[in-house]
Amino acid sequence: MPVDRDIIIDAMSKIQVTSNNEGLVPAFNVLVTQAPTNFWNSFAELITNSVAPELKPAAEALLENAAHECGYHTGYGIITSEEWASVCAPMIESPEDVLHAAFAVFTAWGWAKSEIVELIPGEKMVVRAYDYYESDVVDRGALKGPCAYMIQGVSAAFMDLAYGGEYDPTGQTGLRTFKCEQVKGIECGDEYGEFVVTSAA
Amino acid sequence: MTTEQLTQWVTDHKFNRETCRHSMNGFDTVLHCHHYATLYCQLADDAEQFNGSELLKRSAELSFLDVLSTYFTDNNVKELDDRIALAEEYWKQCGWGTLKFDHVGELSTAAHMDHSHVDEGWIKKWEKRDKPVNFIGQGYLAAALSAIYDLPAGSYTVYETESIVAGADASRFSLVRI
Repeated sequence: MPVDRDIIIDAMSKIQVTSNNEGLVPAFNVLVTQAPTNFWNSFAELITNSVAPELKPAAEALLENAAHECGYHTGYGIITSEEWASVCAPMIESPEDVLHAAFAVFTAWGWAKSEIVELIPGEKMVVRAYDYYESDVVDRGALKGPCAYMIQGVSAAFMDLAYGGEYDPTGQTGLRTFKCEQVKGIECGDEYGEFVVTSAA
Repeated sequence: MTTEQLTQWVTDHKFNRETCRHSMNGFDTVLHCHHYATLYCQLADDAEQFNGSELLKRSAELSFLDVLSTYFTDNNVKELDDRIALAEEYWKQCGWGTLKFDHVGELSTAAHMDHSHVDEGWIKKWEKRDKPVNFIGQGYLAAALSAIYDLPAGSYTVYETESIVAGADASRFSLVRI
């Protein structure tokens, strides 16, 4: 059975998280929060435009890293969850299927309407995102450089999970075996965002 | 005469199948984990030279003030007690921890959190530290008090006087009008 994105998006978009008596949401192996997208966007925009120009790449790398670690640990939590077992697992026959299904979940949860358009197992993945909240920072005109740090980090993390070896809860191994470059962005005036993930070696 | 119950935060959740975005009461929202939140806080803390923690506080204040003020307006919430209860409830529902206002005044306010996503996430990810790290909570408190008193962003300074991340049993905050 091939991975059916529509089935996954329909099912996974309906998942609701609720907080416990401590006001916390333990789910998918992590603690989860709900926040307006413009909160996350605001800080990324303010910090990258406040630092000295020579430090901007470092700030961008740290924002990407936040998503990379998030994607690695939460991604593992997702693919080992009961929800995944019931909805996605019956469609999975290979690590490549895991990746296609993971991007359907990524879409369902509102991170980015995205899909894999090219995949060379263990080597390279190209992802396109047709709608994503990180592009909302521009109301008119276009940025000179892309700013979808969250998609960059999570895309690399998903390749880590698929091909980077056994999951390591400490992140000492397995994490950062892949890196991602954003080559197109809606925020830059492109029709979609495009993300190229390759080995970090 | 019946009294309308206003202190339960009611979420109108929608998923737009075309854009694949989620919205809560008209605001696009997204789930993120404690790794993401704590790494944002760490970045803010490290960017001391550029006032990173203030930028994170401001981001939280501006975003959450919009959500709270819109909710109060749309639902005609005018009573102080209702607004306080809703500000506490919304924070909890979103998974950021528990928030209780100890006393509320337009010039000075005190609040505490018995549980904090950022503090507990930080300890879970790394370990305790001696300085506050909950810049998101500080920004939210400034937003909450401004929304409660119909004031603009930037109306309050927030001091975190005790922190769960530093070993305290609760994080405690003091707010003063600027």
